[in-house]
Amino acid sequence: MDRPFVVLAIDALEYELVERFGCKNLKQENYNKTDISEFSQPRTMVLWSSFLTGENKEADILAKGDKEMWNTKIETKDTFLSGFSNPKVIDLPGYSYDKKQHDEERRLLKAFFDTDDPEKKDKIMKEYNKKSFDHHKQVKDEFMKSLEGCHDLVIGYFSMADVVGHLNFGNTAMMRMIYEELDELAGKLRSMGFSLLILSDHGMMSVGKFGDHSNYGFWSTNFDVENRNYRITDFGTIITNNK
Amino acid sequence: MEKHERDHMRIVIVGHVDHGKSTLIGRLFFDTDSLPEGRMEEVKKACEELGRPVEFAYLMDQLEEEREQNVTIDTAQTFFKTDKRHYVIIDAPGHVEFVKNMITGASQAEAAILIVDAEEGVQEQTKRHAYILSMLGLQQVIVVLNKMDKVDYSEERFEAVRSDISSFLGRIGIEPSYIIPISAMEGDNVANVSDKMAWFDGPTILEALDTFKASPKDMSKPLRYPVQDIYKVGDKRVLVGRVESGIMKPGKEVMLLPSGKKTKVKSIEVFEGQKESAGPGECIGITIEHPLFVERGEIVCEGGSPLSSDTIKAHVFWMSKEPYTLGEEMLFRCATQEIGCKIESIDRKLDSSTLESKEDSPANLSDMEIGEVTLKLKSPAVVENFNDIQELGRFVLTKGLDVSAGGIISTRD
Repeated sequence: MDRPFVVLAIDALEYELVERFGCKNLKQENYNKTDISEFSQPRTMVLWSSFLTGENKEADILAKGDKEMWNTKIETKDTFLSGFSNPKVIDLPGYSYDKKQHDEERRLLKAFFDTDDPEKKDKIMKEYNKKSFDHHKQVKDEFMKSLEGCHDLVIGYFSMADVVGHLNFGNTAMMRMIYEELDELAGKLRSMGFSLLILSDHGMMSVGKFGDHSNYGFWSTNFDVENRNYRITDFGTIITNNK
Repeated sequence: MEKHERDHMRIVIVGHVDHGKSTLIGRLFFDTDSLPEGRMEEVKKACEELGRPVEFAYLMDQLEEEREQNVTIDTAQTFFKTDKRHYVIIDAPGHVEFVKNMITGASQAEAAILIVDAEEGVQEQTKRHAYILSMLGLQQVIVVLNKMDKVDYSEERFEAVRSDISSFLGRIGIEPSYIIPISAMEGDNVANVSDKMAWFDGPTILEALDTFKASPKDMSKPLRYPVQDIYKVGDKRVLVGRVESGIMKPGKEVMLLPSGKKTKVKSIEVFEGQKESAGPGECIGITIEHPLFVERGEIVCEGGSPLSSDTIKAHVFWMSKEPYTLGEEMLFRCATQEIGCKIESIDRKLDSSTLESKEDSPANLSDMEIGEVTLKLKSPAVVENFNDIQELGRFVLTKGLDVSAGGIISTRD
């Protein structure tokens, strides 16, 4: 089998930080912002579901309500994945999302903002960050192993920039370290010679020392495509055309 | 804490804004394992979790943020340490801020590091900063020629810049204790001896600093206690302030200046109690034996020879874009004293960069000019020579809310 097409799906990879930290591997040969202005808000589940289906899924996802939306599992036949014979999709919202992990992260995030006790806040933040780092390592291991398997498409979803960013965006050193980790991962994939798309649903902007979603995403490729602000619903076709 | 008070030395790092002060500070912290506590700890832990090295750039990010948030490292919060003692770094982000800090509050430095980019050489800002060191009477000075990595660690380049800076410093009366070639970015000759400059056999920065002597403590000086406010607590009238030098003790015979009234200290009042003595830096309240009328701005003194006068000669560093024209009214602020004033004459004016005299009898002072001036105050102020008691030897001149100039009283003529 030919080498798989690889998608590094990174939640909240911020265009401006990629530039600021000089992440050459994340930028690849072509890079730009994605246009998500058609969505009322940059919501993770809405955006990745729209990526998968090539359609704006905002109304459908929001209709499920705040809690139920995280259970969304779109069938393969309704996604661009149906054009692949053996795709592997790790942890992607709307398809193979590890709900238990992410529910736990949201619980800790809520607990952090619910308490006024600085000591408790500190303890929660440490636990929250650690959970995200552990999860990152797990996904990375599974992702790297999948590249050796017989898949024609491998998508790995990495949420650390989003999860850690929400509580630590004002900590530049922490964000730099995370972006360097992701840049190193991208570098590894590039050196392995895969066709690589790096895609984020949205970016992140500073709200005091915390981070909130910014209203554009990021994309980059190591193959030729027109360099413009694609919509997130365009990428299924781009992947299919370049596999 | 007591250990720090006994063993620490305050150093100031000065030089052109782009010559690598931040990197040097970062390197000093990094190489002495003195990273500021707090979020950096979290980053270090995160690096461990992800199996990544802790990089020098992370520390630089941290220092940058502290500056942006005004948690500047001139607040005496941050230390690095050697086997000999702790060091507190005084710094400020920009040129004007530096001058303001030096003159208005951060000037208790006991030693200075003057940093010069070996590639760019001595710049105007280098000279200005060096001049301030000279004005402040700082004698323990290390010159570091930074970014030696950018000039291939060239001895020839080092010698050329060394010659330039030595010649300038000689003209302003500074004889540096050491001139050291370094690369703060690469860590050469900061804490560790460089293996790339075998031609240099002098000390590293840390070795050089450790040879310096700490200043005698302010407690051995005459008592000076500027009154900040007067509180009525029950039937007591408490004079609140901070001991700037000497020791405050009940029973001590003191004089209030500039009024010249004499009295005795009755008690030292602190929160929920009294104390038997208080030393420099302590914020306290005192009561006095006699029911004197005391105002904010008066100085409780014992011993020494403070000058109480409405005419003061001083060095003034003008740091406002708006120039001063002789006769304009300003506010003279020294310790807790605030008195209307004007500059009566500008006896000499220097360009702070070239140090050339500008005019014989100038009528104005412009941004970054230094004037030797005579100030006329609306009422007498109590001042000291800066090198004797710093808090009463430095002042600022304000127009409205803006600090227009800083000044040093270096002569008592």
